[in-house]
Amino acid sequence: MIDVKNLSKNFGDLQVLKDISEHIAPGEKIVIIGPSGSGKSTFLRCLNLLEEPSAGCITFDGTEITDPKTNIDLIRRQMGMVFQHFNLFPNMTIKRNITLAPVRTGLMKQEEADEKAMQLLARVGLEDKADAYPSQLSGGQKQRIAIVRALAMNPKVMLFDEPTSALDPEMVGEVLEVMKELAEDGMTMVVVTHEMGFAREVGSRILFMDEGKIVEQGTPAAVFDNPQHPRLREFLSKVL
Amino acid sequence: MELYLQWKDLMKAGTELPFWQDFYVKFFQAFVEGDRWMQYLKGVGSTLMVTALSLIIGVILGVLIAVVRTAHDQQRPGKRNPILGFFNGICQVYVTVIRGTPMLVQLLIMGFVIFSTSRNYTAVGILTLGINSGAYVAEIIRGGLMSLDPGQAEAGRSLGLNYIDTMRFIVVPQAFKAILPSLGNEFITLLKDTALIYTIGGEELVYAARAISTRTYEQMFPLVGTAIIYLILVLIFTWLQGILERRLRQSDRR
Repeated sequence: MIDVKNLSKNFGDLQVLKDISEHIAPGEKIVIIGPSGSGKSTFLRCLNLLEEPSAGCITFDGTEITDPKTNIDLIRRQMGMVFQHFNLFPNMTIKRNITLAPVRTGLMKQEEADEKAMQLLARVGLEDKADAYPSQLSGGQKQRIAIVRALAMNPKVMLFDEPTSALDPEMVGEVLEVMKELAEDGMTMVVVTHEMGFAREVGSRILFMDEGKIVEQGTPAAVFDNPQHPRLREFLSKVL
Repeated sequence: MELYLQWKDLMKAGTELPFWQDFYVKFFQAFVEGDRWMQYLKGVGSTLMVTALSLIIGVILGVLIAVVRTAHDQQRPGKRNPILGFFNGICQVYVTVIRGTPMLVQLLIMGFVIFSTSRNYTAVGILTLGINSGAYVAEIIRGGLMSLDPGQAEAGRSLGLNYIDTMRFIVVPQAFKAILPSLGNEFITLLKDTALIYTIGGEELVYAARAISTRTYEQMFPLVGTAIIYLILVLIFTWLQGILERRLRQSDRR
């Protein structure tokens, strides 16, 4: 589904991603873990070109998205993204936050989008917030809305950039619950997170990144219970 | 009125009048006699018109420049559009020159050098004020666009909205709210700066006050009166700005 070849990314003189090649198959739940500054988020943001790769090639469903001639907006409509800081639009109601993109991109009519929004809101238990503004919600509620907003575009893959890192510990559970349900429904997911419990439970494959490279990868059992690389062992000994 | 004429004659004859009689006569002379208050009213009218027209020019120029400069700055590194770069250069020169020279000098150059043959002094004044204000409005708008969390635009783009839609529905409405106090400030500055076009012969409130002074040989009442009128105008606009800001703040905190 997503094919990454020889991806590198530099910020000035700093090389954040070093020649990464990886393939993500439909239905996979990839969880990316690693220390801060290891390039996890940059890797994720390269997948929908929020960061422009310095070198390498990314293909999504047969379309080369790193080709300058590709209309990236059409690709992004099929890739949902959830941010650490939610990034809900504070100048709109929740319902409009959710329906803006499907309507403006011509995916749905306003009525269809409204209906879809209410269905999705009901799914995360927030249908009573449809007419509220983001500032009236708690962090956990905001993040659930952000997930719904991405889902409203019927994406083929969902990218999560540390979705629980900015939340109060109490609210982490409700967001992870929504993500688990999404995983059970068969959504292809790429998740950058520090929630090792979630990674072990939901991930179908774990990627451990350090200093711009994928140092080790495998099933949760292999990575967590039988780590090979010394850097991964050191990391796990600190976070588990 | 009768008292006024009586005292005025005494004054002309050289009699020292008591303070309050003197005050009464000068006040009458400056504002009432010959319906002179009409001249101030007309002056206020043209001042407001000059302000409004130069603000329109200023905002149009300001938006254009801010859009060019922000679009230029937000290009992906290594993929810069040369045409945009060219316009960005022009905008930078414009902003630098306008902000780097006094408004009075700009007015004098426009009035006596560039448009020295034009008799329509007010129009030249409006144009100059508009061009001047454009540079400041551009910086205000650019600041507003830059101050917004980049995550907002990223969220819009990640949903597949294009650049224009992201700006239109997400960035600009929020930026507008953020810049409203500075924009209101700019409007008030502009309102007061219209007084400067008097120097090139533009007709507005100061022009009316000076015209009356030259008839009555009395400076204090027309000038202090003018100052009070400006103050009242500014207070009214400050109040209106406050109402608008409270409205736009509705979605912020409740």
